[in-house]
Amino acid sequence: MQKGNQLTRKIIGRFLRAISVAFWVMVLSFVMIRVAPGDPASARLGPGAEKAAIEVLRKQLHLGGNPITQFFSYVNELIHGNLGVSLQDGVKVVDIINRTLPITIYLILLSTLCALIVSIPIGTYIGWSGKGSLVYGFRGLTAIFLATPNFFIAMVGILFFSVRHNWAPVFGYDNSFPQNLHYLWLPVAVNTIILSSVISRVLFSSVSETKDEEFVETGIIRGVGRRRFFWFYILKPSLAPTVVLLSYMMGTMLGATVILETVFSLPGIGRELVGAVLTSDYPVVQGILLYFGVITVLLSFIGDLIAYLLDRRVKI
Amino acid sequence: MKLKSMSQRIRAWIARPGGVGIVSGIFMMLTLMILGLLVPLFGNRDDAFVGKPFAPPSFQYPFGLDQLGRDVFSRVFNAVGVDLGVAFLGVTIPLAIGTIVGIFLGLNRNKYFLSVIGSIIDGINAFPLLIIAIAALTYLGPGLKSVVIILSLTNWARYARISRTKAVVVTQQNYIEAAKTLGYPKWRIVLKHIAPNVSSETIAYALSDFILVITVVAGLSFLGLAARPPAAEWGSMIADGRNFIGNAWWIVIFPGIALCWAAVSLSFIVEGLSRRDRGV
Repeated sequence: MQKGNQLTRKIIGRFLRAISVAFWVMVLSFVMIRVAPGDPASARLGPGAEKAAIEVLRKQLHLGGNPITQFFSYVNELIHGNLGVSLQDGVKVVDIINRTLPITIYLILLSTLCALIVSIPIGTYIGWSGKGSLVYGFRGLTAIFLATPNFFIAMVGILFFSVRHNWAPVFGYDNSFPQNLHYLWLPVAVNTIILSSVISRVLFSSVSETKDEEFVETGIIRGVGRRRFFWFYILKPSLAPTVVLLSYMMGTMLGATVILETVFSLPGIGRELVGAVLTSDYPVVQGILLYFGVITVLLSFIGDLIAYLLDRRVKI
Repeated sequence: MKLKSMSQRIRAWIARPGGVGIVSGIFMMLTLMILGLLVPLFGNRDDAFVGKPFAPPSFQYPFGLDQLGRDVFSRVFNAVGVDLGVAFLGVTIPLAIGTIVGIFLGLNRNKYFLSVIGSIIDGINAFPLLIIAIAALTYLGPGLKSVVIILSLTNWARYARISRTKAVVVTQQNYIEAAKTLGYPKWRIVLKHIAPNVSSETIAYALSDFILVITVVAGLSFLGLAARPPAAEWGSMIADGRNFIGNAWWIVIFPGIALCWAAVSLSFIVEGLSRRDRGV
């Protein structure tokens, strides 16, 4: 009873921390437009803009009045699910995000799945065998993949698979299920290469640490079955750092997909963000930033939680 | 005699864990930097039109010519200064700010103040670096100067977190207690005892952060948000050559290799240092 109580308290504490971080994310996305040097409204309309037009835009961006009331009206709008409208074409920001976010999430989840399938066997095998030459090669190769920017890997991929062989389209997208894989497989492959380098490295080092634990020796002496041994004695105690890393990496991948979507012209949220930045479409940037921040905060909360459930030695 | 013992000492140093990585990393970095220094001095100007557009790599132009007939070789090495310079500023300024803020927080005892600043730091860190940089560029306007400003404004939070954790640990050490007992003034304890111990940790992180920042700067330029054409910068050169990749692969591949070269050499150094630190 006592133990269960402690667990809930820990989880609630961690959740409250996630909420407070989410709050600051919101404040940050609110503040950014207001602390920018110069007036955003006149910056967007250009030097020759009429005063009246600037006033209208300032009103549209809710830039009038004192900061405190501005903030409360911003929060109020947020609670009602209103993120404003795009300055470019008047479409609701929420609608833009609802249209583009699923593609990005689909891309990220697919890459994560592929990366797990690739990296768990590799990381476990190399960590378990610990053979010198193998470890050396593995470290060198993953170091190169990790240091290479994803857009360059993508360009090399395009050069080989699109230009030379015409196996992957360079742009375009189809929303229906089996067809979209045709457009997505190369971006997913690029993401998978980078992600599985990170994951397998972390898994490798935690497996080689776990290997030296006493309970592993006990398992060998007790003659535990092979499959049970690898899952309960090796993999499960080693997975916690990987899960924490994975939740962090999924946040980072939001950034990485911004570039990948631009390279492959995929209509995801990342390309929408870049487009909005280039046209100074403040409400869209603000909305997407808020979504990204909340998503990463949630992911890190979930990651910490799963890591704790897998291995109670982890601090949350 | 003395020379021999010197070379023996160097060999022994390399033989220790991580030595090969550190030495090859430094060697790769130096090559790049020396070429980055010499090519702008003696090679073609990066914006000069020297020949027929899309000329493939040849003896005269080892990396070929781009879509405007500019020498890719000299452009790639002219960009060394820009890319490494911007990344250097984008690492050292946050390093300094973050370390100082972290030490200050580590010494501070006000619970409410700490929790507010702590969650601001967590809030900034919640965003991936690339995302927050892209978003902030909306308001500052594209350009390399804005990139440096943004990195200074946001990246310090990561250093502050590391520095604060370490500062809390250091202040509990016995030698701080000893220094206090000896009656040293507070500024001396902070400057001579706490700061060096904390900064060793943040500088170690800065090295690996350098890799990230190089790719972020190049990535932003690739998106057209940092360096803009016709500036010689790896990311924008890759973006430039993107449309011609079908018939002129060299415009894209060589800047990309230079970018990888810089990042890989740093990652070899980081890897080597961390292996040396752990002694494996």
